[in-house]
Amino acid sequence: MDYPDNGAYMVAAYIIAAVILIGYAALLVYRIRKLR
Amino acid sequence: MNRREKALTTARRGTIITGLALIGLAGVYVRALMFTPIERFQGPAQKILYVHAPVATVALLAFGITGVLSLLYLIFKDPRLDHLSASSAEIGVALSVVLLTTGPIWAKPIWGTWWDWDARLTSTLFLFLLFVGYLVLRGALTDFGMRARFSAVLGVLALGLVPFIHMTVYWFRTLHPSPVLLKPEAPSMPGVMLVTLLSAIGVVAVLYVGFLMQRYAVTVLEDIREEEAAGGLS
Repeated sequence: MDYPDNGAYMVAAYIIAAVILIGYAALLVYRIRKLR
Repeated sequence: MNRREKALTTARRGTIITGLALIGLAGVYVRALMFTPIERFQGPAQKILYVHAPVATVALLAFGITGVLSLLYLIFKDPRLDHLSASSAEIGVALSVVLLTTGPIWAKPIWGTWWDWDARLTSTLFLFLLFVGYLVLRGALTDFGMRARFSAVLGVLALGLVPFIHMTVYWFRTLHPSPVLLKPEAPSMPGVMLVTLLSAIGVVAVLYVGFLMQRYAVTVLEDIREEEAAGGLS
């Protein structure tokens, strides 16, 4: 079946979401360690 | 167990939950990318739904919880309610950053434009900016009582926007599609896609819980540090 060729947008969205969520998780761990 | 030990225990538990949720998120990515079929008309870009919609749902939930906790703070004046509402607001902002970046990336190949100033997109951006303002306000006020009261009022006022944003796709002409799940009728999606979407929403909801516990612990530990600093000065 022929699909529109827009896989690059999908990959970009998944990478950006992962970077932001993992980045925020790392930030919280850093802040807790700093305040310990 | 004193306040610091309690906060550190909450932080540890939150970190474990966040870690498990991130592993779950990796699992959702694998399921979405490799085991969920490609939609015929939109192509691979449609799979952005499995990131965008769960983050949108939980971000609105986070802002809704902030509003409810703010209202409860104004009634009961319990500092824990203020700490929790502020924590939920910050997580809502973080999730909104994902929401407001994945949305345009999905819009470009499907709508032919990165952004449209329609009711859904504009009101979502407005809610995000409102809560950025909420966080700036909290950062600017040093007196605990004033900070908690002012930000609680803002949190309650913003609460009205949450159901409004959900209803914009029905009330206004918009490019944004109608909800797939949160509607009176049955979900308009094949079972295999629906399972992926529901798993993603579940994982992001667990991630929110982990973040909330960690962020709450940060607020309590900051409070303790402020009190110690004030005690040292007096």
